[in-house]
Amino acid sequence: MQVFIAQVINGLSTGSIYVLLVTGFNLLLLVAMIIHFSYPQVVVFSMYIAWLVMKYTGNSVVLGILAALGSSILLSLISAPLFQKVMKKRGEVDINTSMVLSMGIGMIITDVLSHAFNNGLPIAFPASLVGSAPVLRVGLISVTTGQVWSMGIGIVVVSLFFLLLYRTRAGRAFRAIAEDPSGARLVGIPLLRTGLYSYTLSGLLGGTIAVMFAMLLGYASPGLGEQVAHKVLAVSIIAGLGNLVGGLFVGLGLGILEALVQGYVSGSWSNAIAFVIMLIIILVKPKGLFGSKL
Amino acid sequence: MASSSTAAPFRGNRGVGGIPAPLLSITSLCVSYGHIRALKGVSLEVNRGEIVVLIGANGAGKTTLLESVLGINAQVTGSVVFDGKSIRGRAADRNVRAGLCLVPEGRGVFASMSVLDNLLLGAHNNMRNVTAHLNRVYEWFPILRKRRDQVARTLSGGERQMLAIGRALMSAPRLIMVDEPSIGLAPIVVNDIFAILKKLNAEGYTILLSEQNAYKALQCAHRGYVMETGLVTLAGSSERLLNDPGVKAAYLGA
Repeated sequence: MQVFIAQVINGLSTGSIYVLLVTGFNLLLLVAMIIHFSYPQVVVFSMYIAWLVMKYTGNSVVLGILAALGSSILLSLISAPLFQKVMKKRGEVDINTSMVLSMGIGMIITDVLSHAFNNGLPIAFPASLVGSAPVLRVGLISVTTGQVWSMGIGIVVVSLFFLLLYRTRAGRAFRAIAEDPSGARLVGIPLLRTGLYSYTLSGLLGGTIAVMFAMLLGYASPGLGEQVAHKVLAVSIIAGLGNLVGGLFVGLGLGILEALVQGYVSGSWSNAIAFVIMLIIILVKPKGLFGSKL
Repeated sequence: MASSSTAAPFRGNRGVGGIPAPLLSITSLCVSYGHIRALKGVSLEVNRGEIVVLIGANGAGKTTLLESVLGINAQVTGSVVFDGKSIRGRAADRNVRAGLCLVPEGRGVFASMSVLDNLLLGAHNNMRNVTAHLNRVYEWFPILRKRRDQVARTLSGGERQMLAIGRALMSAPRLIMVDEPSIGLAPIVVNDIFAILKKLNAEGYTILLSEQNAYKALQCAHRGYVMETGLVTLAGSSERLLNDPGVKAAYLGA
């Protein structure tokens, strides 16, 4: 029982990172109408920037966090005109082209990280940011500050996100575009400009995830983005592409599933087993557990 | 519209020599989709306070015309002047801010969103006085107030049309373009919708309508244009069109 509880806590904290990643991915899918396959690479890149800034500022946590947020937003906004240009060239929105562009961005980021930073070796975040100290320990169950932060930030950010989506003018426009882009255009909602808001927001989200990731893992490596990207894509497809609420449940679900496999079977098999289970789900429900919104 | 300086001193209200300038005037409008020419030089005018109807079969170019005026289509030549200003090629959101709006064919309401959200979307480009506009719309359509928290998917066809019209009113428009309001509605509901359009017009709204239901539309409108394959083939007052033998044969089933 203690193993179970411990692993559920572990799972919830990684799960909240998956949830935010899927949310950012889905936001771009629904509003900017791109498949940003490499969104997690952008997040990992921001982790590296945060690490770099902390290294040269005497491990300043505040500056590190600001660097993560800033670089993620900037990277997201820089990529926006590229995506919009590619999509416009084809006459109308073409989601498939965006996927190729996103893959390219991901590969470039991975290569830059493995050549330009720390000789390609994994980076370790300073203790001032990483929350590996336990705040609670009962038998086998131990909760670290990183886990508490990760779950706490996850809950706050997701709540704020849904508040924005359902209570603001921009959120209303997001939902309208998500449901029917050409209908939204007829009402006079500017697709490109509203799309830019979604790039900014997903950038902000990405920066937050970078900080959470650094606190929880304590390290980052050039391949981390790619590894996570597969999971994010899988989660969003299994939940139903573009299904934000579905992403919440499946993101947390995957986190818990992985942790349980790690706890009861084997750590090295957790990816494979989690993916086999997801494969079965997708065979039974091809449109995702919660239904695709595309 | 306290808009900034333009050359003409009577911009918007008076044309040359004190004759009221039309609210919307379209000259030689051509629109193509790739190699297909959907409009081949259409000219028409809508004066303030009028209901003008475009009559034509499917594919005549009515929807293309309305969407081009709104600023949706890219490949447009000719001139579109709204309220004394050329608006050809201007983006739809700016046109909506300037007082143009479109009630799309098939209503185009957002089915998964609440009635209230749908209405607020209409005010997206004009959030000033949004409460006042909302209350006006609820006065026009009390049923929408009753159903404001329901998702639009649960509305009947007629209620959806009311919602689409209400949403258009939320943008504080000066020209309401309505694309095929009667399509897919029961005859009794069609009567209601046309009655609403007439009432809106009596309140001062200028309306440009497209319709296949020529008889009902002409009864409601002041003037009409008959469109065929991207061209205006006939224009005139509603009585004239109603009595025109060609129109009778082609559109009134007489």
